[in-house]
Amino acid sequence: MDSASFQFVLFGLAAALLSNISRSRVWRSVVLMAASLVFLWLLANNPIVFLPLIGFLLLGYAGLFLIERGLAKSWVWSLLAVILVYIWLKKYTFLPEGIFLHSPYFTLGLSYILFRVLHLIIEAGDAGEKRHIGLGAYLLYTLNFATLVSGPIQRYDEFARDQFADEPIVLGIRTAGLQLERIVRGFFKVNVLAMMLHAVQEDALAQMSQPLPLPQKLFSAFRLAVVYPFFLYANFSGYIDIVIALARLMRVRLPENFDRPFSASSFLDFWNRWHITLSTWLKTYVYNPLLMALMRRISSVSLEPLLGVFCFFVTFFLVGVWHGRTSEFVVFGILQGGGISINKLWQLGLARGLGRKSYKALAKNAIYIAFGRGLTFSWFAFSTFWFWANWKQIDKVFTAIGIAQWLGVWLAIWLCATVVLAIWEALRAALLSIRTSEGPVLTSRYARVVYASALGLAAFVMTFLLNQPAPDIVYKAF
Amino acid sequence: MIDSMAQSDACKMERTKEAKLPRRDFILLPVIGLLTICLIAVFFESIAWLLFPSSRTLGEDCMMFNDSSTGTGPRGIPNAVCWEKIPEGERTRYRFNSSGYRSEVEFRPKSAGTYRIVLVGSSFPFGMRVPAEKTFAMLLPAELSQRTGRNVELYNEAMAGFGGYPNIVERRFKDVLAANPDLILWVLTPWDLQKAATNWPFHEEPANRAVKESWVVKSIRKRSGGVLDLTIFRLDRIRVVLMFEHYLYGSRSQFVKSSLAQGDDDAGFLKAEPSAEWKKRLLQFDSNDAEIEGRVKAAGVPLVVVLVPNRPQAAMISMGEWPAGYDPYKLDDELRSIVTSHGGTYIDILPEYRNMPNPEQHYFPVEGHLDADGHGIVSEILARELTSGAIPALKVAAQPQVAQEQGR
Repeated sequence: MDSASFQFVLFGLAAALLSNISRSRVWRSVVLMAASLVFLWLLANNPIVFLPLIGFLLLGYAGLFLIERGLAKSWVWSLLAVILVYIWLKKYTFLPEGIFLHSPYFTLGLSYILFRVLHLIIEAGDAGEKRHIGLGAYLLYTLNFATLVSGPIQRYDEFARDQFADEPIVLGIRTAGLQLERIVRGFFKVNVLAMMLHAVQEDALAQMSQPLPLPQKLFSAFRLAVVYPFFLYANFSGYIDIVIALARLMRVRLPENFDRPFSASSFLDFWNRWHITLSTWLKTYVYNPLLMALMRRISSVSLEPLLGVFCFFVTFFLVGVWHGRTSEFVVFGILQGGGISINKLWQLGLARGLGRKSYKALAKNAIYIAFGRGLTFSWFAFSTFWFWANWKQIDKVFTAIGIAQWLGVWLAIWLCATVVLAIWEALRAALLSIRTSEGPVLTSRYARVVYASALGLAAFVMTFLLNQPAPDIVYKAF
Repeated sequence: MIDSMAQSDACKMERTKEAKLPRRDFILLPVIGLLTICLIAVFFESIAWLLFPSSRTLGEDCMMFNDSSTGTGPRGIPNAVCWEKIPEGERTRYRFNSSGYRSEVEFRPKSAGTYRIVLVGSSFPFGMRVPAEKTFAMLLPAELSQRTGRNVELYNEAMAGFGGYPNIVERRFKDVLAANPDLILWVLTPWDLQKAATNWPFHEEPANRAVKESWVVKSIRKRSGGVLDLTIFRLDRIRVVLMFEHYLYGSRSQFVKSSLAQGDDDAGFLKAEPSAEWKKRLLQFDSNDAEIEGRVKAAGVPLVVVLVPNRPQAAMISMGEWPAGYDPYKLDDELRSIVTSHGGTYIDILPEYRNMPNPEQHYFPVEGHLDADGHGIVSEILARELTSGAIPALKVAAQPQVAQEQGR
């Protein structure tokens, strides 16, 4: 139930159906609360395991309560307390083993709940914001079953705007049809595409330690590096498609989390398209305040751009580190932060060297964009080794072939990604240019029905007939 | 492309009253959907039949599984010839000699200087789904003759289906010894042990199918309570399912996962601690093997037992790692212990699979038997093992250098 399974989709559809019995916001909130509690119960039906989560939620609410009572300074302490308790509950490995709770407890979705709680506390602490959030609304927002497991990370005001609206947003047959199509698409991505890509990755990983001829080994290395980003995209975005569609059927608009990330022409652009709500949250609550604080302290105009680079590094280092408790994710964070910083420095250096006008012209050049896209994909593919592998596996993989051979593989990945992604972009643009008065032919409702029917059949064959369980949703673990 | 357009469409709709759907779309859209599904199903089923054709006849048509007239278990129809083409295999001929065994030649008295091996077992040594000349039953004697410089001949008295069940092997040992063998080679597979406790004759004739009843079909049948098992909708006749399985099981990791999900009956032997049912099967084997060993000792003929891994087992051994609670070598260890406790000779070939890249590719992915390449590999391994001292009469003085390190 905690992944993009048929049971989860049915559960969500049932909740949406119930929710639409009445337009009353009370009814819709009651249904959402009931569905969220039932969802939690189905995931772990021993109430004891929820005690730490309940404690965490109450701590967050207590912080809000104090801020609402005018204890403005308490927001910093509330923030710190919430973060420290989160680190303790998640058992980060830099903390001593002895201080953790040893009995099993529920932590699914805690990372996402953290962001929501911090967001509420920070916004409450903002002098301009004065609002009361009742306990019910707080629990609805933090425990919403549609966003519990893997996000997206929604702002409270956006949630409240839809959930507590007197008049719910429109849900006609066209919208419902679009959401059903999106559910089918998401289901296919997770249960078919991600499953197949995961199998390719596992096979390639096994082949790295087999006594194969060098060309086959190099091909295994190539496949291993290239496949994982696509697997992660299919796995995560597929789940997001399902929850966004289910929420929309319950008349709540969730923010988008992906916007064709492999079309990004730079690593900076990539993080505007990949896990958008996470990077937006960290940019809002880490990058912006950190940059403003540094600029207040360091008044040098020439250093301003470098301050920006530093803040980017810190922000995206945290993006990386948020993903896991172990040292591998520290490296993952360094690679994300490093990639962003180097990208920014490159842009600054090029603009300074060529002049703004020339740099802008270069940035619009199709070949420059294509190479940038390829390099962005290659860097992300490289960094994800520290995302999915442990140190033992990383050692096994990177010592399976020599350094020179690995460099050759990465060069090949860069070149192939450049060409393939450029062809894909051109093909996409060409296909979307076939239009009628209503829009592109390939996105008309008739084309969508064909598309959804085909994907639905494929997903049905794979999951029901072949009874192949899909790999778990990766982001559920964070 | 659909992703970004969906977002744009959705935003526009949410701000304004949603445009009504034309009435015709209430019929047209479902019809388009159904038509799409039908066209895709027909298209892929056609492709599947093109890529994986099969014959109406099977090798099993020349076999009698429940004929109790001889008392020796399943046998071939004497002097019969059958042809088959299974979806994953090549066109295969089965010729049975007058004794009812799959052989191109008649069994005759042993000539002087000939070293005769009699092969027993079930469908793997029988060479099911593979042309006779490509089976290890035909390749092994040639290989042994070349290595030893002796005239080695092999009588294949293996029988497909149930010929390898320990209680069946025990029944036909009179026939085996009547061939005056110098060596009896009993090639086992996990499937033989799975059926160790099965009594023959059986209550019903096993169904012959061009497509082996896959786990898919068994699973659906079980889950639907037999509802989907209608004459007009025989799932085993839907070729596209086999096609998907064939390609899906080309992925070793996916195949191993699927195999381990099959339940104790099929995959229990891969567990580190055998279940009660598998322990019972091993006890049955112990009893049958004791009887067989007693007979061969009395006849003064050496018996060599060897376990050929099935596809999931071969894949797991080659991968070198497996989920906690599993051990693909466990069955091998148990069999070795049983056979040697009765004074028999056990050849352990599983370690050979450890350094073999992708050995599971030498099996039919869905059908499960060894393909021609797989038979070649088994022949080579057996030839090496038999001539390395396990059987003094076949020992050669100098062995070719083994390039790969053996071991677990």
